Amino acid sequence: MAFFSTEGLSISFGGLKALADVSIDVQRNSISAIIGPNGAGKTTLFNCISGIYRAQQGRIIFKDKEIHRLPPHKIAALGIARTYQNVELFAHMTTMDNLMLGRHLFLKTGLLSGATLFHSRSRSARDEIANRDRVEQIIDFLELQAARNEFVSNLPFGTQKKVELGRALALEPELLLLDEPCAGMNVEEKQDLMIWLKDIQEEFGITCLLIEHDMSLVMEISERITVLNYGRKIAEGTPDQIQNDPQVLEAYLGGDDRAEN
Amino acid sequence: MLWQIVIGGIAVGSAYALIALAMVIIYKTSEVLNFAQGDMACLSTYVTFMLLHGYGFPFWVSLPLTLLFAFVLGACCEFLFLRRAKDPTVLGLIIMTLSLEMILFGLLSWKWGSDQRELPFPITSYDTFTIGSFYVSRLEVLTFVVALVMMALLFLFFRYTKTGIAIKATQLNRDSARLMGIRTNRILMGTWGLSSVVGAVAALLIAPASTLDPYMMWDPLLKGFSSAVLGGMTSLPGAAAGGYIVGIVENLFGTYVSIEFKSAVAFAIIVLILCIKPSGLLARHYVKKV
Amino acid sequence: MKKMLLWTIVMALVIAVCAAGAVTAADAPGVSDTEIRIGQWAALTGPAAAWGAVARGAEAYFKMINDEGGIHGRMIKHLVFDDQYNPARTVAGIKELVEGPGVFAFVAGDCTACALAARDYLVEKKIIWMALGNAWSIKPDRHFFFIYPNYLDEAAILVKYAVETMGKKKIAFFYQNDDYGKGGLKGAQQQLEKYKLKLAAEVPVEPQDRDLKSHTMAIKNADPDVVILWVNPTSAVIMRKTAAAMKFAPLWMAPSTLADPALMNQITGGLWEGTIFSCLAELPDADIPLMKKYRAAFEKYVPKGERWGIMYMAGFGFAEPLVEALKKVGRDVTTDKVIAELDKMTDFKGIFGHITFRPEDRQGQKEVFIAEALKDGKSKRLSDWIKADR
Repeated sequence: MAFFSTEGLSISFGGLKALADVSIDVQRNSISAIIGPNGAGKTTLFNCISGIYRAQQGRIIFKDKEIHRLPPHKIAALGIARTYQNVELFAHMTTMDNLMLGRHLFLKTGLLSGATLFHSRSRSARDEIANRDRVEQIIDFLELQAARNEFVSNLPFGTQKKVELGRALALEPELLLLDEPCAGMNVEEKQDLMIWLKDIQEEFGITCLLIEHDMSLVMEISERITVLNYGRKIAEGTPDQIQNDPQVLEAYLGGDDRAEN
Repeated sequence: MLWQIVIGGIAVGSAYALIALAMVIIYKTSEVLNFAQGDMACLSTYVTFMLLHGYGFPFWVSLPLTLLFAFVLGACCEFLFLRRAKDPTVLGLIIMTLSLEMILFGLLSWKWGSDQRELPFPITSYDTFTIGSFYVSRLEVLTFVVALVMMALLFLFFRYTKTGIAIKATQLNRDSARLMGIRTNRILMGTWGLSSVVGAVAALLIAPASTLDPYMMWDPLLKGFSSAVLGGMTSLPGAAAGGYIVGIVENLFGTYVSIEFKSAVAFAIIVLILCIKPSGLLARHYVKKV
Repeated sequence: MKKMLLWTIVMALVIAVCAAGAVTAADAPGVSDTEIRIGQWAALTGPAAAWGAVARGAEAYFKMINDEGGIHGRMIKHLVFDDQYNPARTVAGIKELVEGPGVFAFVAGDCTACALAARDYLVEKKIIWMALGNAWSIKPDRHFFFIYPNYLDEAAILVKYAVETMGKKKIAFFYQNDDYGKGGLKGAQQQLEKYKLKLAAEVPVEPQDRDLKSHTMAIKNADPDVVILWVNPTSAVIMRKTAAAMKFAPLWMAPSTLADPALMNQITGGLWEGTIFSCLAELPDADIPLMKKYRAAFEKYVPKGERWGIMYMAGFGFAEPLVEALKKVGRDVTTDKVIAELDKMTDFKGIFGHITFRPEDRQGQKEVFIAEALKDGKSKRLSDWIKADR
């Protein structure tokens, strides 16, 4: 049984089939990629996995558990975190606050913590300190020290992407979904990102599934690649296999053709 | 004379501030203008009346029970009405809260009739403290203190508690909040409950100075709404400041300009702010990402 | 040719049916050998449900009349419907009654907007209406009888009492900013002019206002001896509480709309004591035979938990003149005969003041008396019935 898989996933929006019978498998502790032209349904697939959308057909299985009927917060609690193509941070909060929100699931103080804050100081405080430590580790890891107390809306886009990655890591996921992690990044940042992704996989033992347009990055770090076009899976395999797949070449060229028209 | 009016304005402004806070709490998270706020608060006050008068509970038992009721009422309003709306528009949501208002008003009139009643309250509005040539009623002092305490509690709550921060996150980015494991539906329910409690506190402080009747909160709601608009609808400190400003301006206007149009001041403030500075006096203006 | 004939027959039939309808309608709608149907709209639920007590009072009154044997062998059937203070419902409900079972007359009927909406239909159907008062600026009609004195007269009498009996000169007027309040204001001004006096302060209030500090201060600054409260109970309560907080204690006067000392005492937390107010009807606890009889009827016909207050009494009072006229008309009841009988009514005395109707003057009662609110919601009558000077 695969660590994570989708089986025959389909969803359509008002007659437009965004996903049609998509099945993918992801092995534990691997880095896999999903590629495809714009509008191929990649982000829709992520939205289905994270519970934002509900697939009309098919199943999503994570660690032998069906998750396609669960709400997003439960999916997050099971250990799936994600980032967005366009960054979805809590704009009027600092980097630190954003990362701490990633620790939401680990904070033990409940609804009445406001009232108990002063009484059970030690417990609340210990809890808080432990979580802050974890966040500090992530800040160090992603080299976000300078941005720690900045409002995220004031940060450059590349840094915001790092904050979002950090926030996802704060959730301590087992599966990390990355939607175009290096879009809008410069070459140097891309190099860093590639190293971090490797570290995330190897040191933290987190399985990564990424959507990416940057083929050099995809080919270099992914172990398996799935290609989507018009909501359908048209190919999957190792980078070598994909690079030589005639259907893939056709899809990309065809897509370009249409774009020009 | 002038200072007496300002003191009076601050006193009544405290109640407006609480209502404005209640409205802003909901608006921030749900982006709904809750016009049922007044009647929700009014219903809670009637529950206090019922507990005190009907069941003969002492005030200090009735008060927490009322606040509990207010919380459940608010949560139910969100759960039973607002949540049922499928992909609602802003207008749709406003219409929903207006209908909720009518339902609650009908319920109030049906259950208790439109007779004016006196809410038995431990402090009257006509026992006064006199400081030099100024006087201020005990109820006004209590209102002022309670408003400040509520504001402080809300500040601490939003700033330092897990739930408070989760509410803030939900308000800023609902989808992301869900991905952080925040149960945003529950948060929305909770904010409606919280808002309802704040509104109920305001109504409990307004009732003893006038009469308890189904219309009780119409005027204060309008003033509270105007205060919230003045503060920019999304800012808690803004809403509180707005409450005091509306209270003071209205009283000054009533005394020095025209008593006949005193109540229109609140309307004028809404129109003026929407024309000149729609983001309000204290709110950070931010454009929502589409 | 045949077609023409057919048309003529159809037309003739239509006219005949209409004419027949018109004849019965003009005759005595809602009257059968055994009953007289009297309609009433009232806000039994909704925002003005307090007014519903008027309808329940009338109900008790008619039950009492029926138990006494009815009117010349006919029982009164009282048809009340709930309009929830909503004019659209009022009109629909009236139509349902008039065009369904048929109604001989309407009594009372609250809510300005509802009454205005009902007016034209009642004129069209030629139905007698014993209305509250014409203070609502309802256009008179041959079929309408207004019972209550208008606000101008009532305010004039209050001022007259303050000046002539109590010797007060500095009077302030606190009024609701609408027809009700302005009517009272005008009456007070006109009466004061007769003494070459002016109001010390005229302060309007919006009925929904809950913060009356500036209003109170405006009145207090004029330093009046007397303040007349021409407002709704809520505004009166807020004014009294605010004034108490400001240690402002003039002599307070109020019109009959606030003449429920038990209620006012309760909702002001006892501050109402000492208020001088005008009454349109005998006090609810008056020690006169008629009131005792009505109180007994109230005990008998109204379910427990209701309070014998002015609203209930008014229900009895509005129905009295009609019943009186029906009794005088005898067995042969028609709309015209009852109107003629009502127009002969002179100084009829029920629990309201003396009522006189004339074809050219349908304002029945023109007098009030003055009372004082005592401790614990009791009251004391201070004067005999006083007529307005005009």
